[in-house]
Amino acid sequence: MPADRLSSTLFALADPTRRGILARLATGDATVKELAEPYDMSLAAVSKHLKVLEAAKLISRGREAQWRPCHLEAEPLQAVSEWLEEYRRFWDRSLDSLASYLKTMPDPPKAKRRRSKR
Amino acid sequence: MSRITIDADKVDEAVIIMTRMFDAPIEKVWECFTRPEHVRIWFGGAGFSNPVCEMDVRPGGIWKHVMRTPDGTDYPLEYVYLEVKKPTRLVWQPTNHGKSKDGPPTNRTEVTLEDHGVQTKWTMKATFASMEGRELAKRMGYTHTLSQGCEKFNELVKTL
Repeated sequence: MPADRLSSTLFALADPTRRGILARLATGDATVKELAEPYDMSLAAVSKHLKVLEAAKLISRGREAQWRPCHLEAEPLQAVSEWLEEYRRFWDRSLDSLASYLKTMPDPPKAKRRRSKR
Repeated sequence: MSRITIDADKVDEAVIIMTRMFDAPIEKVWECFTRPEHVRIWFGGAGFSNPVCEMDVRPGGIWKHVMRTPDGTDYPLEYVYLEVKKPTRLVWQPTNHGKSKDGPPTNRTEVTLEDHGVQTKWTMKATFASMEGRELAKRMGYTHTLSQGCEKFNELVKTL
């Protein structure tokens, strides 16, 4: 996944309201009004969130956004999930190696206050 | 095995967090993250090698790196250090701000080490703030004010 696509997906997911909206859409399409219901915010505010989700291609909306429901697009979520997994695996592997290495690594020189000459 | 979580407190940028405990004192773990002769041994994990690893560990200093996968593909990586506080804090970010097609597209990485005597707790926060995300965050103000139904904010939203 291209770096900035991933970043915009992660940004979209960073907000709890947007995560809530996605969770709701995971159970089926919904109109803006239906999505706004659980939240104490204006339709305009919810629309801002939907714009972020749309920009990240996490949801799609009909042309007449007022009437057509929002739809969850699974692909970016899948891609981000895969990338996160890959990232975690990279660090797990690396840190496993580090943990083994630490066992055999000689102790660093005693920390005497001593400036290194440059 | 470590868990990866999204920092729920951040709303204008995505922060993922990983933690791990090491059975070694903090000074040793710090050395392993800041000296090329150690880093090239573990970075990437089993099967990986690091033919290039140069570190100038100070704010503004460059970490130049090439990681080689088990199948022989080289990944050049270059970072600049933003904060260096021995032995507890190390912050770096890609010199090309994550625009590179190769390697993981992170933005800023913060590593903090906590002294637990014979053990050290390692925490890493990787921040992803896309350019459009930052722009949107600026225009929206802080997202949590949306749910306060602030009059002034609603007016602003209408003008956007």
